[in-house]
Amino acid sequence: MTATPPLSNGRRVSRPGAAGLTRLLGLGTRSEDAADAARAASTSPRAYVADDRFGTLNETRKPDTWVRTTCGYCAVGCGMYVGVKDGRAVAVQGDPDHPVNAGRLCPKGLSEHQTLAAEGRLTTPLLRRSPGGGQEPASWDEALGATVVGFNRLLAEHGPEAVAVISTGQLVTEEFYALGKLCRAGLGLRHYDGNTTLCMSSAVAGYKRSFGSDGPPGAYEDLDQADVILLVGANVADNHPLLAPRVLDNTGATVIVVDPRVTKTAMVADLHLAVRPRSDIALVNGMLKVIIDAGLVDRAYVDAHTEGFAELAEHVAAYGLDRVAAECGVPAEQIREAALAFGRAERAFVAWTMGVNHSVQGTETVTLLNTLCLVTGNVGRAGAAPFSLTGQCNAMGTREAGGTASLPGYRNWDDPAARAEMAALWGVPVDRLPTERGRAYPDIIDGVLDGTIKGLWVIATNPVVSFPNRARLEAAIRKLDLFVVQDGFATPTTAMADVVLPAAIWGEKGGTYTNAERRVSRVRKAVEPPGQAKADFDIFLAMAQAFGLAGEIYPGWATPEDAFTDWARVSAGRLCDYSGITYDRIDAAGGVQWPCTPATEAVGGTPRIYADGVFQTPSGRAKLWCVTPQPISDAPSPRYPFLLNTGRTVEHWHTRTKTGRVAVLDHLAPEAWVEVNPADAERLRVGSGDLVRVASRRGVVDDLLVRVTAIVREGEVFVPFHYDERCANRLTVDEFDPISREPNYKQSAVRIERM
Amino acid sequence: MTLIEDRDAAVTPVTDRLRKLTGIDGRGPELLPLDAGEQYRFSFAMDACVGCHSCEVACAEQNNTPVDKAWRRVGELEGGVFPTTRRLNLSMACNHCLEPTCLSGCPTQAYTKLQNGVVRHDAAECIGCQYCIWNCPYEVPVYDKATKVVAKCDMCLPRLSEGQSPACVLACPTRAITVEPVNVAAWRADPDGADAPGLPPASITLSATRIVTPAGLPDLVAATDHAVEPEDPHWPLVALTLLTQLSLGTVASTVVAEAAGGAGRQGLAGGAVGAALAGAVALAASLFHLGRPTVAFKALRNWRTSWLSREVALLSAFSGASLAYAAAWQWGDSLGITRGPRLALGIGAVATGVAGVYASGRLYLVPARPVWNSRRTLVSFFATGLATGPLLAALCLDRSALAPSLTTGLMAAAAAGGVVQLGAVRHLLRTVRGRTDRQHRGTATLLTGRFRTLLAARVTAVFVTVALLAWTFTVPLAGPSAGGRLATALGVAALGELAGRYLFYVTVVPFRVAGSFFSGR
Repeated sequence: MTATPPLSNGRRVSRPGAAGLTRLLGLGTRSEDAADAARAASTSPRAYVADDRFGTLNETRKPDTWVRTTCGYCAVGCGMYVGVKDGRAVAVQGDPDHPVNAGRLCPKGLSEHQTLAAEGRLTTPLLRRSPGGGQEPASWDEALGATVVGFNRLLAEHGPEAVAVISTGQLVTEEFYALGKLCRAGLGLRHYDGNTTLCMSSAVAGYKRSFGSDGPPGAYEDLDQADVILLVGANVADNHPLLAPRVLDNTGATVIVVDPRVTKTAMVADLHLAVRPRSDIALVNGMLKVIIDAGLVDRAYVDAHTEGFAELAEHVAAYGLDRVAAECGVPAEQIREAALAFGRAERAFVAWTMGVNHSVQGTETVTLLNTLCLVTGNVGRAGAAPFSLTGQCNAMGTREAGGTASLPGYRNWDDPAARAEMAALWGVPVDRLPTERGRAYPDIIDGVLDGTIKGLWVIATNPVVSFPNRARLEAAIRKLDLFVVQDGFATPTTAMADVVLPAAIWGEKGGTYTNAERRVSRVRKAVEPPGQAKADFDIFLAMAQAFGLAGEIYPGWATPEDAFTDWARVSAGRLCDYSGITYDRIDAAGGVQWPCTPATEAVGGTPRIYADGVFQTPSGRAKLWCVTPQPISDAPSPRYPFLLNTGRTVEHWHTRTKTGRVAVLDHLAPEAWVEVNPADAERLRVGSGDLVRVASRRGVVDDLLVRVTAIVREGEVFVPFHYDERCANRLTVDEFDPISREPNYKQSAVRIERM
Repeated sequence: MTLIEDRDAAVTPVTDRLRKLTGIDGRGPELLPLDAGEQYRFSFAMDACVGCHSCEVACAEQNNTPVDKAWRRVGELEGGVFPTTRRLNLSMACNHCLEPTCLSGCPTQAYTKLQNGVVRHDAAECIGCQYCIWNCPYEVPVYDKATKVVAKCDMCLPRLSEGQSPACVLACPTRAITVEPVNVAAWRADPDGADAPGLPPASITLSATRIVTPAGLPDLVAATDHAVEPEDPHWPLVALTLLTQLSLGTVASTVVAEAAGGAGRQGLAGGAVGAALAGAVALAASLFHLGRPTVAFKALRNWRTSWLSREVALLSAFSGASLAYAAAWQWGDSLGITRGPRLALGIGAVATGVAGVYASGRLYLVPARPVWNSRRTLVSFFATGLATGPLLAALCLDRSALAPSLTTGLMAAAAAGGVVQLGAVRHLLRTVRGRTDRQHRGTATLLTGRFRTLLAARVTAVFVTVALLAWTFTVPLAGPSAGGRLATALGVAALGELAGRYLFYVTVVPFRVAGSFFSGR
């Protein structure tokens, strides 16, 4: 590649000073413009070269090959290319042909190649050879051997409840399927869950209660086509950055945001309902009453496809606008306006994220949003759906194929027919499969604390930073007999492990991700993992081998595609039907939305489910739920007068395991902060840039940076949860949704003290 | 369900729709060709920006910039009361101004305004003096310690010249950033949209960037405004300015003494040599300020528009002239140089010195740094020479041969210099306290907060100097301790000037584009 060609459009027209004098003094002569430019290019610290696909690029970002893949951060699932040169990932570019992002990426995606060269990778297995000793490098055989011997001993001495597994939403579907098969069909473990319980389990449980199955009914293209977009507890501008433009691009839509904070998303909304925390249930009840009173119920749809309307109408009758306005702290007229807009819309779309899910009433709130869509006939049509915006790149994959909350293919654990079918498909005795899902993530931690669970295998998640009430979580980990952690980077969690298994990360292995709109996309290996790190898929195969189970559960498996083919077979006939999806079809379509059978004509699969109004419930009808709001348990008190809300910022991902190591991202948001309303700041006598102590009933965070801002309400504060150093989860209440077991990260009482 | 399918009628395939919106070929929106009299410029729609920071990262990737030397930065402005709070983002890179002060101030002509409007910086011509950073009210140029030169946004010229959009434009998911042609004459006549909240007045440089500002905004405060950080002290420049001013004061005092005929030969020679050495040391010290001192000679190129070029030329001439004056004293007899030509040399040195110190002061009078941009800066620079030079001269002169009135005159001059500096401090404090803009208020905050002890010391030094001089004046000067008292007075005065000059550099608060919460830290 040569330097930049002569500048066709860049001729110099003026230069101050006297060229004559400099020549006279012999201080340099000025040559022709093009020669100037060429010289500048050759002596400049920056050189640019042409790329066939993406135009002129910096020489340092010009690869030999572009590897087509899918972003590994959030579940928007943007298509991208990773540029590889001399075996190193040097660049990322958005995939202009991808149906999700059409070439655009968020700052995390744009710098994602840097995660592959980041410091802090685990490059060799580590083993704590003596209790209380340090972690020492070990061979794979030794590390796997220690794991297998240790887990087998615990299982033999204490039974199948003694060992638990907590996985993630970060692996490829093929790995989730393989891991689920190992845990359930191979080891017969009772307690296996993922960190998806920390973010999406309320959506899963809510969908199940309303529709009889998990599975988001809509698609992103509904954002383009809706007349009303209602975003509840969903700050897409920070958390699903490539969906924000799709909301904004739909200039015809009325965008209504329900959020206690004036988020970036709230600021671009047509109507922002700044509800008090946890008052969303009262709000939607009130909206339902307005809709029913105004005669905006889709009676035909309700009569044909739902059950429970009479009870619902009776229930919400108590939610008059004045009461709701008082509970929400929002003017009655705004609530009425939002309800009428939603009720009158031809196509209304509801999307929610953690503002809904991160609550002890998360599941119920989800059912209520489903109910809102059902009574207005906004399910299964273009531009109309109750849609959960998923957090992790492949949380959907583990929900469908992983075998945690349900058997693969959304089969229920307590359904004997489903278990028999699954056992037959897998060729294992049916009594090998548990009859119930077992403990969810927080209950696994409880099980560790009460001594039931003695061995724990954590995969690609960092509970020390991400689980609520950090002190209690750390106490649980210290109680374990054997703690095995499998991850790509050294984290505060791997530091506590007895066995550390170094894993390949995104970009170092292949498979598929399923995004929030049920679109299955391929992820490809661009570079080799460092040192002895292995793809999680290969670790599972090796682990099964070490347990002596490989021949039974992974017959003939060598590559992720073998697992995919098996999973597609197992999913046939289910709602999440992958049977028509192959790697080739994904490549042809740039992503295929399930359900997709061999008979599905559209190469890209099926954009939305429940188009026929038939649901997965025994009656085929969707269930309308009556929901009553519960008070916040850790409510502010004189001793802890502020209500703490936690959340994210666009520059970072989860616990900063990756983004904290990408300089360009970390520089933009290098440390945690606490947002304090100006009136509270005045009372506390603190200003922006001051450091404060924030304390809750569970713990203390010192030296937290104050940001005085009116985007939070008086009496409420916000802290991003990404930071290990100023860990918001030292403060959060360890309280969980009784149905989904999702933590209540969003409401904890805290005190603020000047340092 | 027919009911449902009917409603699905007119649905555009999503990919087609996105293709139309975003420019599917990966090269971004079409770059319109320029007509005659047009240049390219950035346009930024504030209300379309959701603050995703993709532009910053895309820019860093495209141009391989260090993380703390970004070419494009996104600032935040906030106003209003919950829940109608507004927070606006301001994504800014170079404004490719019609009157670029980076270009006019650059001593080496490293900047060019291209026909397509791009203000281009040529790293090969840059000596790393960083004067463009002071001159640009947007603080667009950034100095990179690794390359020892500044760098800035060139609107992705290597892409632009191929008809491709810049990286930031391509990366912006909401198309808030675009590149568009603008008729230069029309924009000059009516730059409506060049000013926006969080930006310095566009009139300083005639910024070409068009900002679409939403209507009905509350009063906005930048996220950076909570923090006023001191600027770099620029120690080599502290040395350069102080020593050249000391040198000028000393040469001038020596010349006056010679003209008055009131001093012995040895003393005058000493004064001249001392002055010349101070000037030479000053110039040498200033080289440490440059990223690439070996090509410092390039700084002479832009004497037509750059006060920095003029400063370099005139102070070099002053140094040469004062060295010649000193040489005329040392070796004048053997060379046959008589009093007349020698005095002429001295007067010439003083004249170039005055011009040099004036140029030196003038280069700080930049609109981008309003607290500097005052005649007070010039007064203060000359007053430094007055407060110190006569004392150095008096120390070097043969005081026993000096006429009493001349001695008194030198001490009185130094005292007067100190008093002028007190006036300058008073004027500065009154000015910065009387204004509400961030630049003046920030300087006031620094002077009366973080640096109040140093400011007090600086003022005290003048009083102590004057007291020492008064004591010296009342006690016969020829006594054995007189030299010590004079030296002490000079030392205290010099320390005061040092403190004052340090404060001058660190407490200036430049205009800058509203930054993000963390960029203010």
